[in-house]
Amino acid sequence: MSGFGGFLLRRTAGAVVTLLAISVIVYVVFYVTPGNVAQITCGPRCSPEQVHQVAEQLKLGDPLYLRYWHFLQGLFVGQDFSTGTSVEHCAAPCLGQSYQTDQQVLDIILAKLPVSVSLVVGAMVLWLLLGIGTGVLSAWRRGRVSERVLTAVTLAGTATPVFVIGLVLMIVVCGQLRLLPFPQYVNFTDDPEQWAWNLLLPWLSLALIEAAAFARLTRASMLETLAEDHIRTFRAYGVAERSVVGRHALRGALAPVIALNANNVGSAVGGAVLTETLFGLPGIGQELVHAVKVVDLPVVVGMVLVTGFFVVLANAVADVLYAVADRRVVLA
Amino acid sequence: MSEALAVVETAGTGTSVPAVSGARQFWRRLRAQRAALVAAAVVALLVLVALAAPLLTALEGQDPTTYHPTLIDSARGGVPIGSFGGVSADHWLGVEPQTGRDMFARLVYGARVSLGVALAATVVQVAIGVAVGVAAALGNRWVDQLLSRITDIIVSMPLMIMSLALLAIVPSSFPRPVLVTLVIGLIAWGTIAKIVRAQTLSLKGLDYVSAARLSGWGTWRIARRELLPGLAAPVITYAALLVPANISVEAALSFLGVGVKPPTPSWGQMLTAADVWYQAAPQYLLLPAGALFVTVLALTVLGDGVRTALDPRAASRLRVGTGRKAATGTGTAAGHATEKEASA
Amino acid sequence: MRQPSVIARRVAVASVSLVVAAGAAACGPEDNDAKGSGGDSTPHKGGTLTVLNSQPQSDFDPARLYTSGGGNVPSLVFRTLTTRNRENGAAGAKVVPDLATDTGRPNKDATVWTYTLKKGLTYEDGTPITSADIKYGVERSFAPELSGGAPYLRDWLVGAADYQGPYKDKKGLSAIETPDSRTIVFHLNKPEGEFPYLATQTQFTPVPRSKDTGTKYESHPVSSGPYKVVKNENDGEHLVLERNTHWSAATDQERKAYPDRIDVRSGLDSSVINQRLSASQGADAAAVTTDTNLGPAELAKVTGDKELAARVGTGHFGYTNYLAFNPKVKPFDDPMVRQAVAYAIDRSSVVNAAGGSALAEPATTFLPNQKSFGYTPYDPFPAGKSGDPAKARELLKQAGHANGLTITLTHSNSKDFETSPEIATAVQDALKKAGITVKLQGLEDNDYRDKIHSVKTEPGLFLAHWGADWPSGGPFLAPIFDGRQIVKDGANFNTGQLNDKSVNDEIDAINKLTDLDAAAQRWGALDKKIGDKALVVPLFHPVYKRLYGKDVKNIVISDWTGVLDISQVAVK
Repeated sequence: MSGFGGFLLRRTAGAVVTLLAISVIVYVVFYVTPGNVAQITCGPRCSPEQVHQVAEQLKLGDPLYLRYWHFLQGLFVGQDFSTGTSVEHCAAPCLGQSYQTDQQVLDIILAKLPVSVSLVVGAMVLWLLLGIGTGVLSAWRRGRVSERVLTAVTLAGTATPVFVIGLVLMIVVCGQLRLLPFPQYVNFTDDPEQWAWNLLLPWLSLALIEAAAFARLTRASMLETLAEDHIRTFRAYGVAERSVVGRHALRGALAPVIALNANNVGSAVGGAVLTETLFGLPGIGQELVHAVKVVDLPVVVGMVLVTGFFVVLANAVADVLYAVADRRVVLA
Repeated sequence: MSEALAVVETAGTGTSVPAVSGARQFWRRLRAQRAALVAAAVVALLVLVALAAPLLTALEGQDPTTYHPTLIDSARGGVPIGSFGGVSADHWLGVEPQTGRDMFARLVYGARVSLGVALAATVVQVAIGVAVGVAAALGNRWVDQLLSRITDIIVSMPLMIMSLALLAIVPSSFPRPVLVTLVIGLIAWGTIAKIVRAQTLSLKGLDYVSAARLSGWGTWRIARRELLPGLAAPVITYAALLVPANISVEAALSFLGVGVKPPTPSWGQMLTAADVWYQAAPQYLLLPAGALFVTVLALTVLGDGVRTALDPRAASRLRVGTGRKAATGTGTAAGHATEKEASA
Repeated sequence: MRQPSVIARRVAVASVSLVVAAGAAACGPEDNDAKGSGGDSTPHKGGTLTVLNSQPQSDFDPARLYTSGGGNVPSLVFRTLTTRNRENGAAGAKVVPDLATDTGRPNKDATVWTYTLKKGLTYEDGTPITSADIKYGVERSFAPELSGGAPYLRDWLVGAADYQGPYKDKKGLSAIETPDSRTIVFHLNKPEGEFPYLATQTQFTPVPRSKDTGTKYESHPVSSGPYKVVKNENDGEHLVLERNTHWSAATDQERKAYPDRIDVRSGLDSSVINQRLSASQGADAAAVTTDTNLGPAELAKVTGDKELAARVGTGHFGYTNYLAFNPKVKPFDDPMVRQAVAYAIDRSSVVNAAGGSALAEPATTFLPNQKSFGYTPYDPFPAGKSGDPAKARELLKQAGHANGLTITLTHSNSKDFETSPEIATAVQDALKKAGITVKLQGLEDNDYRDKIHSVKTEPGLFLAHWGADWPSGGPFLAPIFDGRQIVKDGANFNTGQLNDKSVNDEIDAINKLTDLDAAAQRWGALDKKIGDKALVVPLFHPVYKRLYGKDVKNIVISDWTGVLDISQVAVK
């Protein structure tokens, strides 16, 4: 870990390069995507003249490189947009303005981010509990019936697409048993209790998908640790099995789990697309699918950058955490 | 690039030391595991069913595309007439709501697409991942930097969103199953590349590889003779996990409306169409969901068995004396990588 | 729009007018028991009505909205010169005065329309509504910043074709005069007897110039209706409307406005909306939806449950799903091939694919099967219930395709059960029996729209649909069959590229009529005449089943929109 500052600097530079490369790729890909943006914005019945006016208004006639240049300009120095009656300044970092709704992309993202973060963080807690719990139990009870049952349950989660799990959970829990309300996003700051109740099913659906990976990793990692010398020593000294597994082995086995988790947080923001679409949670994922369908380039680029940012950030955190955790393992 | 992930994945598969055992040993070890054998049989059966789909449906006397309007109740949204979704001697698993198409035929034909796409996409992912990972680990600093950066970009892009765009761009005349395969394969190779790079780095540091290098072997020869066998275990294990994941991705793409095109059935497409029918015609949802579940379960158990067979140390009794070494090996990968990162 | 879970917003909004209206409505006498459900069915004032929708009201600017009859949620806030009659069924297809004292006074050849505003009209802040505000509202709908409305104003008003709205052109539109604060006069470039229908659209809502904030206006549009916007979160995703105390029922015979508060939640998956309405728990008991109807699977469940079945309204909207030919593409240049396809169509399997006989009615006419359109039954190529493959083969033989024919059918990959793969495969299966091999070409929705609406790329055979901008033959037949409406370099809807002088002349002649009943009859006759040309194969007219919460009373669903009218419902 010599030169933590250098590491940080290098990672930051790398992240910026990665994100810019992603924005270029998204720009090019969506530039060639079919769909007449001005016609979509204007409406299907718009006349060619009117479509032309709208295209001019949105600066769609500019060549690709110029449009990307405007995007970069907005990002670093800001941009001005006309509302018709006045001019509005979008300060740097300005991700532009939606073609379809005239909202500023950053505002859209800031409005949607709490939903996605709530979803992913809550689901993460759940999948860690489920995954690690199952993993520890199945390592401990290796080869017995209980292990097989646990494995089957977590696998059922992975094997069933989230939109099927989510819908079935919703129909059974909310529709038939009426144990929970149909999920509807409530701001955490407005009512934390309702926030949690409403998100419980989306959390569970997403967590079931991810839990199996953690269960498998925990189990493998536990088995490896359990076979290590110091654990054998504990056993030889007659330390209770429960304590060996729960306290000593688990601590050693957690390092890779922590690292995998940091990695998954970032990608799960993107993976929440299906969950948000199904449950109608107004998050980044749902908005992104909308934006893709209407070829709303500024929104797509902005949102892909944000999710990309989380992945890059999470990867960096994973590396740091792993280094820290790993040292502890060695020290132990 | 996140080194931690790669290390984690290899740690999870528990194969930091190459399996030097021969093929015969592998088969012996695999045969020793009953669960893996059952799983292998199930997978073989599924593949067989997929291959023999035309034969099986001919046996039933049905095909996956013909409509049977008399078998459904049009006034009630097209729900199948009769119990269990219209199960009969003619229609072994009943018929599909709204169309009356034969469920058995659609299920076995769907296996072709789902398994085919998932397996082929896995092959693409593994091929690219291994090539990029090995090249990054063995190449000079610049090659490694470049490839690692590309891997980072690939990993950081939301797969679903890029698939939506890519599948919209390509002309519709391009065969759809091939396209879906390529899109999944080309977008989701990042993780395997990371695993392979980390594993290769750790192998590179091992005595026998260093010895080979010292005795003047070329990079290609080292890669082929000494590294690839060592990579086999983690790659095969991870690939076994990729197959079911790819089946799910295919289903998710169908859910978002860009999967394989009708009338070609796929399990993902069936699930997507069926989810709203859960209450009115449960078997419509349960059949593809069950098929998907069995497939994923079998592949995962098989993957587990393969890992155990490839890596003798996984059996904990063999771990005596090598445990610390394994940990050091893993540590080397991370340490090596961090050093590289820091020095660059 | 059956399952619009993932649909373009602006596109969806456009379809709210063109397409949607997917409502639950009591149409036909047998369904008219929909008013109230059990117990005290008299509607009372008070309470909160919840609206569960799939599409957010991201366009809430009257200039940008493309609505039929003024829309549903918008119509609670925006009053227009005229509006739709808020009655069940066919009576609801009439146009009635709203802000104006009558539905408009035409000059002799229907090129000049004069309206007088009622007395005592005010906005939510108490300031009076003037005719100049209505003129300004129409003008700003021409601004490219606020695009999205229907094309009629641009086509009909004198000198409007190149007008860019009041932001760029301060002079304003000379085609609209406001001689005094209560009078407004529209000058049209050709006779349009249906102008009163157009005046129902939200572009005819007054917008006070001093309150106009351009593209930001939609976050809080100034109300002239019974409710005002008190909350607009996430660009129309969550709206809260409360009573506008300056609105007076004395000047508004149409809107009942029973609830005190309206809470609109959107961005929900359509299956979730229906699940919530059927569970009817908590606030959902007083909930309705204005853009989601029951899908086939949900219908199968609902019909088996008496309590639920009593809470379903049936709606009809002027709408036709059809197969469209492009006669410029071989082999569809041969009328006999087109007729063979028409004979081979199995409408019952198409209807099943669209959701079954409760959700779709087989169609043989292009005009919707409603009186206000001038519906005249005809069936030039009778295919019976499930197709006449023998007749089709015979025609193919005559056309020189004795050994069968291979054709391509283009459709969208969306999940709308209209132009989607389900319908396409049903057509494919039916034509197989007549020896026609159909190759399916499924396109992503944007690609599909671009292709079928461009004369350069239009495929030979594709699935299409058309919905009424108002319940009359005019906006139904003219865009599709008027030769002068073929657009060479933009979105073209005359997909058969028909340019027949006798058809064009008849359209002009009917447009001169200000007697709308007489006009309807002529539209019906024209439809029959065009039908013989086999440029389209009508497939089905959708029927909309709409579920509502158990506390909702006074259900009114007109044939104009087919949607449960939320200005009429009560929750107490």
